[in-house]
Amino acid sequence: MGGSGEALAAPVPSVPLDLSVDLGSGLFLRNPILVASGALGYGIEAEDDLAPERIGALVTRGTTLRGRTGNPAPRMARTPAGLLNAIGLHNPGLAAVLERFAEQWARWPLPVILNLAADNVGEFAEMARRLEGVLGIAGVELNLSCPNANRGGTLFALEADSAAAVTTAVRRATALPLLVKLSPAAPDPRAVARAVADSGADAISAVNTLPGLVLAADRSRPALGAAYGGLSGPALRPIALRVVHEIATSVRIPVVAMGGVTTLSDVLDFLAVGAQAVAVGTAAIGDPGLPARLADELEDECQARGLSSHLSLIGTAQGHRPGNPSARGAEYRP
Amino acid sequence: MSAEPVAAELVERRVILPDQRIDAFHAPAIAVSARAGQVLQVLLADDEGLVVRRAFAINTVDPSTGVISVHVAGPARADALARLRVGDRAPLAGPFGRPFEVDPRTTHILLIAEGAAIGRLRLLADEALREGRQVTVLLGAQSARDVYPSTLLPDEVEYVVATVDGSLGHPGSVADLVPQYEAWADQAFAAGSPALLGKLAALSASRLTRMGVAKLGRRRGAAKVDPPGSPSARRKSFLQVVVELDVACAAATCLGCVVDGHAGLLRACREGPVFAATELSLETVA
Repeated sequence: MGGSGEALAAPVPSVPLDLSVDLGSGLFLRNPILVASGALGYGIEAEDDLAPERIGALVTRGTTLRGRTGNPAPRMARTPAGLLNAIGLHNPGLAAVLERFAEQWARWPLPVILNLAADNVGEFAEMARRLEGVLGIAGVELNLSCPNANRGGTLFALEADSAAAVTTAVRRATALPLLVKLSPAAPDPRAVARAVADSGADAISAVNTLPGLVLAADRSRPALGAAYGGLSGPALRPIALRVVHEIATSVRIPVVAMGGVTTLSDVLDFLAVGAQAVAVGTAAIGDPGLPARLADELEDECQARGLSSHLSLIGTAQGHRPGNPSARGAEYRP
Repeated sequence: MSAEPVAAELVERRVILPDQRIDAFHAPAIAVSARAGQVLQVLLADDEGLVVRRAFAINTVDPSTGVISVHVAGPARADALARLRVGDRAPLAGPFGRPFEVDPRTTHILLIAEGAAIGRLRLLADEALREGRQVTVLLGAQSARDVYPSTLLPDEVEYVVATVDGSLGHPGSVADLVPQYEAWADQAFAAGSPALLGKLAALSASRLTRMGVAKLGRRRGAAKVDPPGSPSARRKSFLQVVVELDVACAAATCLGCVVDGHAGLLRACREGPVFAATELSLETVA
């Protein structure tokens, strides 16, 4: 019985599929699935599970001009549907990173985007300058969720003029493709997004983690050594979705979305609110093969729908465009 | 990067204390190479599909049956593993981490634990007894109702308890009991809070002086320095400690499990979770 039904089912016509993404300044991804910063270090350590030939790009751990030892332990705590982490930019410093990894990245079949962090504009620009001509670096992503030492420790990502100043300085310092990573804690993410777009960013990454707190089991102290940490994982997803929706309707440059992606459904959600590409962060820590599987699943989904690319999946939920920023007001201030 | 996960059947679950239980899995591939001090990881997704690798101390191992058990502590609501029923399968990976190292000349072993951290030392009692060593376990707990059941320890083990509220055994900290056993023990192994490990490290550092043992002349091989973190460095250490590993990638990429070492930060998943006490800056957290 079932056999005759199967025999009559028409096969889905195979169409040539193009999932490539242009993030600007010559940064082309083979597909729209990236590994988000911090999830898999510098990638080399997780190469076996990562399947670099099947994903769009890898964004590295946050890297500073000089090495940092990071925050005291404990640095990670479980939360409902997520993780709270306070690694504190533990990294060996830019020169050591380039010496150890750049040569191998140059041989990899995927673009590596170096995530940069600093506490003043000059240092951001200095790092960008040092990347000029380094093989293996396909682009840079600015982590603006760092305290701005010259503005009393306010995060760069919370104020449009601070975010613009960093972006402008880095844009002048390098011709490399430039992504700027925004914070969901910004009172008006659209203003920050417009400012970095107008200052020369090629693309926007959204969103970084959101500050949170978990207590130790006996409630005598915070669970993390640094007290506060960044919330990531599915708990962050609705917030990320809202911010990406706001940003994607406000700027003309591509948005790379991230925040709690664990399934193909999450990828489709972020594309629907206007993201051109989607990065997997926290879920890749426990499952480094997930980004490659999601890329395969997106390909299957497009083929099942008879699509020749994923472009028609982008922006389908942007019909209702909010007139005012949805996150205006003191309640969103950190 | 990491050992390939295996689908392991949950074959037994025993609740041993409030919020503490032993889960036993049939996992011959892991059991065959597991050693005391190491962890295995459970790769279960939460309700939102997020796989958070959780590490559990290996509690007991039976290579003949392939059964390996872990000591699970904490509220069951926070634990995807708790939703498993006997007969269900879960993806397990491991064993991970560096194990305890016992000097071949050691005949007397002292195990010092606080609360549920006994689970990180339990397998070492089995290994030591199998090799003909004598084992004393010193356990600290808040009160009698939190004390690890003696029936879960082998009969040959001497078991001494301290409770903070004085409801069972020595009233006070388990660290108070240690000086009585220092002369007897050839090596000590500890698990517990940073404060306890700091106290024990301080006791260990002053042990020879307090015992009145003079250093006469040069010991054979004393000039040879073992690299920090090497098995030989741990083997020669009087006190080895095992730190807690909970959330971790086990691949040294997330840097979520670092501990302070004298030579810099150490990753518990790669350089630990067992350390010679002299490797760590324990006094700073005591």
